[in-house]
Amino acid sequence: MADIVLDKLTKRFSNGFQAVTDLSLEIADGELLVLVGPSGCGKTTALRMIAGLEDITSGELYVGGQRMNDVLEKDRDMAMVFQSYALYPHMTVAQNIGFSLKLGGVAKADIRARVHHTARLLGLEDLLDRRPKQLSGGQRQRVAMGRAIIREPQAFLMDEPLSNLDAKLRVQMRGEIAALQKRLGVTTVYVTHDQIEAMTMGDRVAVLKAGELQQVGTPSAIYDGPVNLFVAGFIGSPPMHLMEGQIGRGSDVAGLTVRLGSITVPLPDELVTDRGLARWVDRRVIVGVRPEDVRPAHDGDGRTHLAVTVERVEAIGASLLAYFTLDAPPVQAESIAAAASGEQLEHIPLVGHEGAVVCATFEPRSGLRANDKVEVTIDPRRLYFFDPATEDTIH
Amino acid sequence: MRSLRRIGRWGPGLLLVLPSIILIVLFVYGLIGWNIKTSLGTQPVLNGPSGVRNYTNLWHEERWIRDLKNLGVFTVVFIVGSLAMGAIMALLLDKGVKGEGVFRGVYLFPMAVSFIAAGIVWRWLLNPSSGLNLIFDKLGLDVLKNQWWQTRSWGMAAMAIPAVWQMSGYIMALYLAGFRGVPEELREAARMDGAAEWKVYRHVVFPHLRPVTLSALVILGHISIKVFDLILAVSGKQGITETPAVYMWDLIFQASNRPKGAAIATLLLLGVAVLILPYLVFTVRSERRA
Amino acid sequence: MSTVTAPPPAAVVVERRPRPVPKGRQRRFFTAGKLAALLVFIVFFLTPVYLLLLTSFKSLAEADPASAWTWPKTVTLDAWREAWDKLGPALGNSFKLVIPATIASTMLGSLNGYVLSKWRFPGADLVFTLFLFGMFIPYQAVMIPLALLYNDLGFPHGLPRLILAHVVYGIPITTLIFRNYYATVPTELIEAARMDGAGMYRTYLSVILPTSAPAFVVAAIWQFTSIWNDFLFAVFLITNPAAWPVTVALNNTAGSQVTPFPVQMAGALIASIPTLVVYIILGRYFMRGLMAGALKG
Repeated sequence: MADIVLDKLTKRFSNGFQAVTDLSLEIADGELLVLVGPSGCGKTTALRMIAGLEDITSGELYVGGQRMNDVLEKDRDMAMVFQSYALYPHMTVAQNIGFSLKLGGVAKADIRARVHHTARLLGLEDLLDRRPKQLSGGQRQRVAMGRAIIREPQAFLMDEPLSNLDAKLRVQMRGEIAALQKRLGVTTVYVTHDQIEAMTMGDRVAVLKAGELQQVGTPSAIYDGPVNLFVAGFIGSPPMHLMEGQIGRGSDVAGLTVRLGSITVPLPDELVTDRGLARWVDRRVIVGVRPEDVRPAHDGDGRTHLAVTVERVEAIGASLLAYFTLDAPPVQAESIAAAASGEQLEHIPLVGHEGAVVCATFEPRSGLRANDKVEVTIDPRRLYFFDPATEDTIH
Repeated sequence: MRSLRRIGRWGPGLLLVLPSIILIVLFVYGLIGWNIKTSLGTQPVLNGPSGVRNYTNLWHEERWIRDLKNLGVFTVVFIVGSLAMGAIMALLLDKGVKGEGVFRGVYLFPMAVSFIAAGIVWRWLLNPSSGLNLIFDKLGLDVLKNQWWQTRSWGMAAMAIPAVWQMSGYIMALYLAGFRGVPEELREAARMDGAAEWKVYRHVVFPHLRPVTLSALVILGHISIKVFDLILAVSGKQGITETPAVYMWDLIFQASNRPKGAAIATLLLLGVAVLILPYLVFTVRSERRA
Repeated sequence: MSTVTAPPPAAVVVERRPRPVPKGRQRRFFTAGKLAALLVFIVFFLTPVYLLLLTSFKSLAEADPASAWTWPKTVTLDAWREAWDKLGPALGNSFKLVIPATIASTMLGSLNGYVLSKWRFPGADLVFTLFLFGMFIPYQAVMIPLALLYNDLGFPHGLPRLILAHVVYGIPITTLIFRNYYATVPTELIEAARMDGAGMYRTYLSVILPTSAPAFVVAAIWQFTSIWNDFLFAVFLITNPAAWPVTVALNNTAGSQVTPFPVQMAGALIASIPTLVVYIILGRYFMRGLMAGALKG
């Protein structure tokens, strides 16, 4: 058991590419911290630096209070679960799991006992004599976990352990890994590109972009209080809608409003003072709203109603998403687009569009269909505002 | 109709390969058959034996037994030497050194040289009164001086040196490819499990290499059985370095004793077949399974 | 960027365990030893070349085995001139032999490899095994019947016989090389071509052939080298000394009374130059092909 402290870790590769820049994190003993971000954001590199599989260019790494920068990976007492599982193909499941113990000189009888114990924990007792190529993906994943667990290390390092599993298995394993970790109480650093995994599993979540830490905090803190456009657009599914707006003074109401295309939404006073929006009057801002905060309008809800035509409907079981277009200019945050691919083609929609595509959340059995006309409202208390220049949240 | 369509599926392929099949059947299997037929003929010597006698008589011959022994010594030294040198060179290069390309280039170039050309210079090197002995003399390494291939009984071991010189580079390439075929993640996993570098090799890398070693063994083995021009070039026709392949040559061209020569040729073929066929069948079948 | 952090635990920097040797120092030690060992091997491999060069520049008088390693007092090109006279025509013969044979056997190998790996037929594996076995037969076993067969077929004497022999006996190894290589081409590529309407030949020309370069290089280098360096077939099938390829001519430079060592050494070098040039220029592709498993079988 140990805490892990990263102090301005930087990794520059020999070809000049800087994968991680000044990453500082403090992971408490027993905590499950998730490193999340799009591909190429440096999360795996950071994990490998903790493991000792990559040299640290600059910065300090402390585990359990000890400086680890120059310690060989085999001496760090950390267990790693690889994305491809990296099971030894010529060894049986039992030998795979027990390999580290064998290296450590543990007596054969002890190894057998502990392997059995671990196998029982993971439901692998019947597979102990099989070879990896005879196992399914889910079974291999468990063997990889078993190999890590049996060592009772000071930390678990997991590199996208679920990405090779099919969707249903992934959902099931998410919960099981999280429960296992709580039960064993081992400090865990978990890397994933799937933000749902991050939100459901982590005690805290650290969002990375292009090698730099954007924000770290509990899932709800990050969800409700993103510090910049990237975090806001990355976390949440379906993602937050982002469009250009303008803060203005209400014509027939006191207080400020925000104009999104042709509609104007009055802003509650608390919001204005809370976020300091007064400074932004008559200025362009980027406005964000989450799909669950765009809902069907009711008479007497005291909000501005928008009359829209439904273009497309997604029935996802628990709710119904109705897609329509607002004539406010959409914002494809450069950072998100660039981080997501690097290809310009990615954010040109397949079918041409004018304006921002917004979806509203309806009750699952509302029977909506394309071309229906409905009225929706946007909850103004749940609006997010971003500085177009810096992409930071306005507060 | 459906079976016609199925034929249409693979028919063209068969047609395309047919010329090669015909050539191979004719030039390989047809000739082997012819050879066997010749080997059963009558030998053009006094009271020339014929038929199966051509084969059985060999085993009473001192010369034949000596030849087999020479072949055995040569094969063992050749195979062990090439595998060992190749493996060591591959190990040294595996993690990457500066100028790896240059090292690899030098280690592999002997493959481009003919046995005859190599034989010419190794003849000097292995000459007891010059060559390597001279160097050892100058360096004060007198203990290493010896009669090389003129050594009674074990001379063939020296003959294996040029062969190792030519083939160990190829073995190195095989092993190097094998080493590098081991996914880096497997090695990393072993390191995370606490293995020191040599243990990583022993538990993760070497088990991966069994098929490479097997195919290397087979290739070297069959070269050894066939080797002929190297021996001629280094020592010329000598009793002390004769192998079945050279004996056969002698019989056919000097002594004009075709049946006996053909018998030896068939025996050589059998030797190779015993070595190769199981390996071939195993490889092709395991490929299908994969 | 503002970061929201959890309350930090007290990070105490105390070295409680003795630190293992820092990675840097360990590594440097190893590399020096490795380099030394690699250089020893280099010496082993280059010594014969050194001796060849050294002797080739000596005059006949100086070329005594007993003084093998001493530098020539007089450097002379006589041996080279004589070797060139003797071997020059043979070099031409070798080229006339190797180039057609290499082209033909690699083409056949490519077609065979294609069919045996991608456009299979029942019994393909058996055919492949039969081919492979042909690679391993001792050629001594078929030499005589081969000559007799040629005679029966009325095949033109001399070079054509040798070329055909090398093409036929080269089929197994070239087929192996291409088959192994094509096995790595995803079958989906072929299927996509078939969906687009291509038949077997079209698929070969448009999809397979363009990507075959590495395999062609490996096969061509291997065949060029094998055929150029072959002695057995050449000495057996070519009876006219004027038509000898260079390996046979080289073997014949062994004189009856006094072996002209410098001429022999120079001859060995001359005979090896073409293959060495091919190897130097294309060697890295050969290595790449080897590493990619083209010759694993």
